[in-house]
Amino acid sequence: MIDFINFYLIPGIVLGSIYALGAIGITLTFGILRFANFAHGEMMTLGAYLTLTMMWLTGWHPLVLLPVAMVLLALVAVGVDQVFYRPFRNSPAVVVVIASFGLMLMIRSVTQFSWGAQLQAFVPGIQRPTIFFDVLRLQPKHIIIITSAIVLMGIVHYLLTHTRIGKAMRAMSDSPELARLTGIDTELVIKATWILGAATAAAAGVFLAFDSHVSTMMGFQILLPTFAAAIVGGIGRPYGAMAGGLLIGITEELSSYPWIGDVPLLSPGYKAGVSFAIMVAVLIWRPSGLFRGRVF
Amino acid sequence: MMKTFKQLALASTMLAVAGTAAFAAEIKVGSVAGVTGPIAELVVPIVAGRQLAADQINAAGGLLNGDTLTMVLADSQCDPKAGVDAGTKVVNVEQVVAIVGASCSGATNGMVQSVTIPAGVVAISDSATAPSITDLDDNDLVFRVAASDAYQGSALAQLAWNNGYRTLAMTYANDDYNAGLAGVFEVSFKALGGTITANQMHEPNKASYRSELSTLSGNGAEGLAIFAYYGGSGIAIMRNSLEAGLFEKFLAADGMFDQSVIDQIGADVLRENIMITQAASDYDDPSYLAFANAFEATGHSPQAPYAAHGYDATFLIALAIEKAGSTDRAAISAALREVANPPGVVIRPGEWAKAKAALAAGQDVNYEGAVGQNDFDDNGDVTGLFSVNVVGTDGKWTGDLIR
Repeated sequence: MIDFINFYLIPGIVLGSIYALGAIGITLTFGILRFANFAHGEMMTLGAYLTLTMMWLTGWHPLVLLPVAMVLLALVAVGVDQVFYRPFRNSPAVVVVIASFGLMLMIRSVTQFSWGAQLQAFVPGIQRPTIFFDVLRLQPKHIIIITSAIVLMGIVHYLLTHTRIGKAMRAMSDSPELARLTGIDTELVIKATWILGAATAAAAGVFLAFDSHVSTMMGFQILLPTFAAAIVGGIGRPYGAMAGGLLIGITEELSSYPWIGDVPLLSPGYKAGVSFAIMVAVLIWRPSGLFRGRVF
Repeated sequence: MMKTFKQLALASTMLAVAGTAAFAAEIKVGSVAGVTGPIAELVVPIVAGRQLAADQINAAGGLLNGDTLTMVLADSQCDPKAGVDAGTKVVNVEQVVAIVGASCSGATNGMVQSVTIPAGVVAISDSATAPSITDLDDNDLVFRVAASDAYQGSALAQLAWNNGYRTLAMTYANDDYNAGLAGVFEVSFKALGGTITANQMHEPNKASYRSELSTLSGNGAEGLAIFAYYGGSGIAIMRNSLEAGLFEKFLAADGMFDQSVIDQIGADVLRENIMITQAASDYDDPSYLAFANAFEATGHSPQAPYAAHGYDATFLIALAIEKAGSTDRAAISAALREVANPPGVVIRPGEWAKAKAALAAGQDVNYEGAVGQNDFDDNGDVTGLFSVNVVGTDGKWTGDLIR
């Protein structure tokens, strides 16, 4: 039983928190800007590399540098939006999706060119877990990741429910035409969307790197489960993205627990398929997602 | 007026013909490698090895009529799909006459089956080691200078047995190279009398392998044999299992042989706890020394995995072009075995002028490369030597040849 918590549940929650943070940005751009942003994974990667560079310069802890990375990445996102996505504002969604795909390749190439294709680590070496009550093994970094993710999700919740711009974002996600009629400044809302999306992407990237390592493909490698999380939660529903992320992260890890007998229920080689199985199931039985999101 | 035009046209045509004869042309050879992807660091010296061969050949008279050998680099990302793209690019766009590469077994399998075999272009891989490449239906177009993992897998099993391991857990990444190697290792280790307590495939590039490792450690084992690329899942698996206290001792093959493994995990943790096999050369062999001295001068370590193989593969292609006497793709592939295998004048790394003279005189040549004899069998495979590598006191890998 304790193995279940140590090696399946806790890693699942850690992974789920990272997916959840990534999915917030995807679901917001999907809901408000109406396209699937493929470049989101590379934004996570870029966030991790920005943090890594600041660590080289200052020697501070990644968690301290995370807010700076969030601000920098938000600036990048707004800048990219102005030069790259703005001309496509009234284009069909498919054009913008392809554009985001191109942007993804461009950001990845820039990352590989600037930082090299080799693996890096925030902190080289390994971190032994702290053992609680003789049996519960918790790594300090996992406590940090889970706590920070909860705090960040709380902040996102506050922004969306208690601020004018947050309410405007939700309104625009629900119905862009109505939002425009009521005099909401759509360009401002779009900027806010990019800022919020980039800040959460930076957090997802930094936490992922903190848990494993920094590589130029890291964001892309979790992009698909993150998309699945956004869809499972309901497009345009930030809470859905959080729930979907946790659901997919935890289920992925638990799928290989030996529920029946001694062998893993599902060979871990197929873990990646689990998130899509959930996504397909949700799309069949509840196409709008768990939190009643947009249906396209 | 018309007459003048005709004369002018004739004159310019003659000039053009004379031009091709007088000025050396460029002969392109594809250099397909996983420049980005899970073994990016390993590929740097391999590509440098290939380039060294090309540079030496160009400095010593070039190909055929003084033509320049140009290596056209394409990125196969260590991935079958990207391997196909890279192969298509060099074969169809760059119109190369032959290919060195690709780096990884999966990428090589993809590239040769979809692109180079149908196009009739010969490919010599310098680092694809999967047993499955041996039996490809390849019209004698796929060669490699790296020994099949049928050898490396059993060498690693023997090594584990000799070092006192009797029960091992093993995990392998879901790709051609690692699955093939793991299969050979499992059979060999069991044949020696060892027990595999658990054997699991895993998907590379995941953020966490904790649940896999927990399952693997369930039945108790003295160590974990990891078959993975270090950048794909190898380092993550080692980190996860050390952090969770599941496995302390590791065995691995050349896909894990990189300094970043030590840098990321820590030399003190790994010392005495890890053994890695990798393809090696006989370091006293004159052919190896000829390569090593030249390669060291370029600022790379001659013992870097597959760098010497990259050199040999390129040199062999050049010899085959010279032997064929043309850049015809079919003639090159037909000539390859003749220049690699005995009989003939022995040619060692760097001896391009000697080889050119011998071929011009109509003699046979036999290339004895930096990695060994390089005598291709019917499947286009070679045998090879391996070394065992451990973490030295200086925090770097130190290797010993397995004899």
